[in-house]
Amino acid sequence: MSEKKPVFQVQELFLRLQRYWADQGCLIGQPYDIEKGAGTMNPLTFFGALGPRPWNVAYVEPSRRPGDGRYGENPFRVYKHLQFQVVLKPSPAKVQDLYIDSLEAMGIDLAKHDLRFEEDNWESPTLGAWGVGWQVMLDGMEISQFTYFQQVGGLDCRPVAAELTYGIERICMFLSGIENMFDLIWGEVKTDRGLFPVTYRTVRHREEFELSAYSFEHAGLDLHWRLFTDFEKEGWRLAKDHGHYLSAYEQALKMSHTFNVLDARGAVSTTERPGIIKRVRDLACACAKLYVEHEFAPAEGEAR
Amino acid sequence: METRTLLLELHCEEIPARFLGPLAEEMREALASWAEGERLGRPRIRLLFSPRKLAWIAEGLPAGQEDKDEVLVGPPQRLCVDQAGKPTQTGLKFAAKCGVDFSVLRFELPAGRKEACAVAALTRKGRPTVELLSEALPRLIAGLHVPKAMRWGESGFEFVRPIRSILCLFGGDVVPFAVDGVASSNATWGHRLYHRRHAGPVTVRTPTDYESALEAAGVVASFEKRRESLGEQLEKLAAEAGGRPVRDEDLLSTLALIVEFPRLVRGAFPADFLNLPKEVLVTSLKEHQKSFCVEDDGGNLLPCFLAAANRSDDPAGFVVSGNEWVLKARLYDARFFFAEDGKTKLADRVEKLSALTFQRDLGSYLEKTRRIETVMSAVAPGLGLDPASALMAASLAKADLMTLMVGEFPELQGVMGGEYLKREGAPEAVWKAVKEHYRPVSAEGPLPSTPLGCLLAMADKLDTVVGCFSVGLIPTGSKDPLALRRAGAGIVRILWESGWSLDPMDLCRAAIGAVGTKAKAPEADTLAALESFFRDRVAYQLETAGFAGPVRRAALPAGWRDLADLKARCTALAVFAEDARFASLAQGAKRIGNILKDESPSPDFDAKILTQAEEKALATRLATLENATDHSAMLAALADLAQPLEEFFNAVMVKCEDPRLRAARLSLLFRLRRTFLRMADFSLWQ
Repeated sequence: MSEKKPVFQVQELFLRLQRYWADQGCLIGQPYDIEKGAGTMNPLTFFGALGPRPWNVAYVEPSRRPGDGRYGENPFRVYKHLQFQVVLKPSPAKVQDLYIDSLEAMGIDLAKHDLRFEEDNWESPTLGAWGVGWQVMLDGMEISQFTYFQQVGGLDCRPVAAELTYGIERICMFLSGIENMFDLIWGEVKTDRGLFPVTYRTVRHREEFELSAYSFEHAGLDLHWRLFTDFEKEGWRLAKDHGHYLSAYEQALKMSHTFNVLDARGAVSTTERPGIIKRVRDLACACAKLYVEHEFAPAEGEAR
Repeated sequence: METRTLLLELHCEEIPARFLGPLAEEMREALASWAEGERLGRPRIRLLFSPRKLAWIAEGLPAGQEDKDEVLVGPPQRLCVDQAGKPTQTGLKFAAKCGVDFSVLRFELPAGRKEACAVAALTRKGRPTVELLSEALPRLIAGLHVPKAMRWGESGFEFVRPIRSILCLFGGDVVPFAVDGVASSNATWGHRLYHRRHAGPVTVRTPTDYESALEAAGVVASFEKRRESLGEQLEKLAAEAGGRPVRDEDLLSTLALIVEFPRLVRGAFPADFLNLPKEVLVTSLKEHQKSFCVEDDGGNLLPCFLAAANRSDDPAGFVVSGNEWVLKARLYDARFFFAEDGKTKLADRVEKLSALTFQRDLGSYLEKTRRIETVMSAVAPGLGLDPASALMAASLAKADLMTLMVGEFPELQGVMGGEYLKREGAPEAVWKAVKEHYRPVSAEGPLPSTPLGCLLAMADKLDTVVGCFSVGLIPTGSKDPLALRRAGAGIVRILWESGWSLDPMDLCRAAIGAVGTKAKAPEADTLAALESFFRDRVAYQLETAGFAGPVRRAALPAGWRDLADLKARCTALAVFAEDARFASLAQGAKRIGNILKDESPSPDFDAKILTQAEEKALATRLATLENATDHSAMLAALADLAQPLEEFFNAVMVKCEDPRLRAARLSLLFRLRRTFLRMADFSLWQ
């Protein structure tokens, strides 16, 4: 990073990250096309973290958190943000160094910044997953979550995977010194008449506004309660009757997002909450178990 | 024997701040006990730790164990030597087992045997300490208790965070061993910034070079040094900004645990955020950014903050500007919460408390609110407090649990309720009471600053304690998950310092009434448990108030439920804590107790019956004592009683033959005791 802060383009950041992690021996994955709250929920991570097979993968994941919606009026907080997700299994001995080099690859000159790894243990009650690790602080800002998975889907991770999650918008804002996310430049559009920079606002603002309004005001409660129950039934049917862990897992993802919408609408009381989260977790854990049984037990090489 | 210094360093990925100290301490103890068990003495061990390092320097370990003399007793002589005086098979076997020639064996009568036996005097060679360490250290390290252990990579080894290198020197020699495939060496790693310029590890020649070698590589290994440096910078930077730091010793320690090099930087935030309540700013800065606020002499915050950096400099100013940027985002959030919360009146949130569980058997926070109201209404009038204000404060006390700000910063409970009420224009007595009703937060923390606040704080805690006791949640031993003892101590402290003559047991009865049918235990049982609980809290209060052992022991049995009276008695007694006359009085009181043990004398007697000068003198004193109107007059009279009482016991035989005289003497003693028991049980003075 030069002394004069350049305006960092959103797309440039994830392109650099993809290039870097591909060079480190990661598969470059794609976002999974179902609404989800975090990149961990992508099957590339959820199932990839399970079982003995070596697995390195990196991808961008749009993450929807209905409760964080601010109608596009808050410069820092949004309904949907971009996570860049890296999973390395087994976690390499030099995983911290690899991570630090990725910051350099993004253009951060660490000779000029303060970098700290502060304890932050991660837990996802909906996925039956937890791990220990850190939030990575750059000059006082959290730029990444760094987690050694200990369990996913209620199963021990052996070997252990390291998960690195970068908050794209925040890093971009930070590096550009921009105080409003919507002023970020997504990229430049080149036409016969020249280059046209396109802002984050142009690409995403209306989406923020409408989806915040939907989450807080317009989402049909009856519909969402019904959907939650139906997805659950569908998921268990797929898992139990057919042993299909992936299509069943998709239902668990839909349950999770439906729950988040209900929660944002204020329709879930504090006493109900743990029970509802458990219903999602039970299905997710059943999927994890089916996956491991199908892929790794009892005899490798049998018909898959 | 020559001694050397041991250095052990585990270089790990960043270890959580909260585990560093306890792990270092535990290993110190394990290492010292091990050394003792190996006959290496008990070394003095220094602890050094930083986010990526746990290190121990043990001084004065001998280079090896001393040789140890042993005497092995073998079979009887008659089996070892035949009649010709030649060694038998048995004798030769024993010599071989001991590793010596038969000719070295002696024959003598060992203790406890009936006949002479073969005896071998052996010297067991001591082993070199390096060898012992090589065997023991992997076991000691793996045996450390890690509260939140993790696995990494392909190994099943568990530790607090991955171990990446091990440095272990005994004097100048490497102690060779490995933990989870990581081999020990004489090298370690410095600060990450240092290794941007230096590729290889840092070599450490001897344990004494360790700290300076690391310091040259950008790491201050001593926690105490880092903390001290941060503390100095805190004062200096705040003074430069024209103020003083809002000190927070816990935060300072945390910062010293999360940096390898201690540095504070000062940043600024826009002054318009100063419109937020001070507590919000201080909490937001602390919780989100681990930063300190700066205030002026009047306690008003300045628009700047002090944050820690894990490096010695800020060459491009990015550390300051980065922290400023993040802080602004955080304060923006705080302002959003504050504005959103302000859109709903606190009173309109009360009913929503029904969705928030206080305790499974005791129901929601709305139910708790109603119980607090009941207690407040019952108690306020007797204290001359306005019943309407008391009821209002009670009903609004918990409403801020439903606000965004308290959701974000739970430690601002109460504070936010008070701030929001103040902005709504609620009466000062009410908003202050709500704001401060969680006090005292710690044993020495301040109490609510107003009488209504004290009452609300007491009523809230009382409901927690009495409610929990009523449903069988009574603290036992070290188990007190709901911190009932702290709540109980808070209640007692408020009573103690407010000077209210409220009987804790009357308060408990009022609170039990409010719990009503939710109670699971019989009321009598609950009250008995509460009585013993509060008596212990009062004893603790006397201790924290600084009353010496004799004063506490003697004053408490004479009554503890009127705290104002107890306090007055203790204060008066404390003057005499070192007075030798009271030691003598205590002896007298014990004798009175013994004499009266199986007697039930009449309180009335005729002084004229008394015959001896000593008992007549005592009777005169009794009159003075009984007429004393205040504690200090009574204590002065008691002090003067010591001598006559001693003389009385020396001269007078209480249980004499004459029944009338005997009855009069017993009555005299009975009256004496009854009188001073108003003050204290002096038989417990010593």
